[in-house]
Amino acid sequence: MNSILERIAACVENGKVNMKSPYPPSMRGQEGADELTAEALKEGLTPTEILDLGLIPGMNAIGLKFSENRAFVPEMLMAAKAMSTAMLHLKPYFASGDIEYKGVIVIGTVSGDLHDIGKNLVGMAMEGAGWRVIDLGVDVSAGRFISAVEENPGCVVGLSALLTTTMLNMESIVRELKERFGMLKILVGGAPLNQEFCTRIGADYYGRSSQGAIAYLNSLQDATGQ
Amino acid sequence: MDKRRYNPDFNQLVKIFRREKADRPVLFEYFMNGELFSHITGLSFEELTDPMDKIRMITRAFYLLGYDYVTIPSRYLTGFSFEAAGHEKKETVSLNEGAVINDRNSFESYNWPVPEEGSYRLLEDVTGILPEGMKVIVPGPGGVLENVIYLVGFESLCFMIFEDEDLAKDIFDAVGARLLRFYEIVSSYDSVGALIVNDDWGFKNQTMLSPDTLRRMVFPWQKKIVEAIHRNGKYAVLHSCGNISDVMDDIIEDMKFDAKHSFEDNIVPVERAYEMWGRRIAIMGGIDMDFLVRSTPDEITMRAGNILRLTDSKGYALGSGNSIPPYVPVENYMAMIYAATR
Ligand code: B12
Repeated sequence: MNSILERIAACVENGKVNMKSPYPPSMRGQEGADELTAEALKEGLTPTEILDLGLIPGMNAIGLKFSENRAFVPEMLMAAKAMSTAMLHLKPYFASGDIEYKGVIVIGTVSGDLHDIGKNLVGMAMEGAGWRVIDLGVDVSAGRFISAVEENPGCVVGLSALLTTTMLNMESIVRELKERFGMLKILVGGAPLNQEFCTRIGADYYGRSSQGAIAYLNSLQDATGQ
Repeated sequence: MDKRRYNPDFNQLVKIFRREKADRPVLFEYFMNGELFSHITGLSFEELTDPMDKIRMITRAFYLLGYDYVTIPSRYLTGFSFEAAGHEKKETVSLNEGAVINDRNSFESYNWPVPEEGSYRLLEDVTGILPEGMKVIVPGPGGVLENVIYLVGFESLCFMIFEDEDLAKDIFDAVGARLLRFYEIVSSYDSVGALIVNDDWGFKNQTMLSPDTLRRMVFPWQKKIVEAIHRNGKYAVLHSCGNISDVMDDIIEDMKFDAKHSFEDNIVPVERAYEMWGRRIAIMGGIDMDFLVRSTPDEITMRAGNILRLTDSKGYALGSGNSIPPYVPVENYMAMIYAATR
């Protein structure tokens, strides 16, 4: 493996955004994900190599630590910041079709609920795994999920909720979505949720955290042979 | 409903805080809601505008329901709170919205509230209406972490901790010092029997910030707050939601809280929490919110009765895992307390 890719992965894992960034103290004064991604492109590495062998492994490493409670939300956010700074360099290649997303996920916090931290974190982690994330924001009705799925055929949907009251709104949203789009896969998560509720409302996957959800998304992809 | 089956006796709650066996089952709730108060007293809570009238009604409801104290939200007492920009409110609010401090300048020009300028007269006036045997329990206007999140925004705070640690530390100190004064003042009133430090430190899987950051920025202030409460001979209850198992030792050994409140089945069910920590800290409430909302009244009475038997009311008081918001059906709430008051 090219060492610049390993360095990019290390920058993402450790949340090293750019040269100026004081974080982490152990990497102070060094180049960050920003500069190294630009260099890698200049050196002739393909955007797909940079994504698959640099950025995604970096996010994967921090995601794993996060799921094992060896890293916390602030570390996860720094990693996501490093990742998205690097992604700015790759954006044009996505637009031109030189690299492709692994898939599209439409994500939102359900009606009545304005809570966004959990959803944002899951969105960042999915972006970090190479998925295109369409974030519908908070207080999202069934109707808005339906339009987003219509606009993005083949996508999956992620629903988040904080309280039992708003969690119960998931049931009708899942029902309406499943009625219209038989094959659609729906992931659910949030404080009051558990596997039993997920199964009862007919959703496909319950995620206690983002890491398992990514493994699930990747398994979907394998199953469809993409 | 105009009678209760036993007389209020704050000493029973004190026994729980001291992890002794109470003479009868004891109830504990962080706070409840206006609809429930109206239902219990037959008066309309929403129509009341005068804080003292509200306190009278809340006290009546706590009394009738079988509590040995009444919680009085600090907003009725003091007019001391940290103001941020408006948050849009529905059933939940965003933890990122409404931030007012984002750099050194906005920190320095922030209009910091002065605890001494709050009005605490109601803590004296309330003695005139407290039924015999009852005391007041006062929660803070949010805790150290909650208020900093409120002022800075959660995600911005996460970045600030790494990118401008000195500023983050100064903000925690500015909030912590003022909350400390608040607790010193409030715990000195005779009507007050205990104080709640209400600060959510965790979510489903772990603490909101790393235990290390909490130990550096948040816990030193909480420790001073508990010391101040104890100096005034009062008891300190920690209400902190989420998965904080990693810092339970800090809570018990370092900060020295008397009691821990807030439990969730998805994290550590209260029955298990009592086994794990009940010998070292009093365990309050804990009947899971989701369980309380979605189970039948019979199931709820059964679980509440079981936990009272399991703990024998030694260092345990019965109540919900968080609070009684309006979305807890009244009959479910009544089914829970019935296990203690029957
Ligand atoms: C902070 C907090 C608050 C804050 C802010 C709330 C907010 N809207 O942000 C404040 C203090 C305002 C608050 C208030 C209340 N709260 Co509150 N709160 C919490 C707390 C401690 C953490 C929530 C949080 O910020 N999590 C941070 C993120 C990172 O975690 P997360 O959302 O769970 O997301 C992770 C996973 O769940 C998952 N995930 C999330 N979404 C998705 C989606 C998909 C697709 C996937 C795969 C995964 C996934 O991945 C994320 C990363 O790991 C929780 C406790 C808990 N267990 O979470 C209680 C909790 C949610 N609150 C609770 C309650 C009862 C309330 C109140 C009703 C209290 C009251 N009586 O007024 C109010 C009402 C809310 C309001 N008006 O806003 C209860 C809800 C119980 C229930 N079953 O209904 C909880 C569970 C606490 C408890 N003791 O039971 N709360």
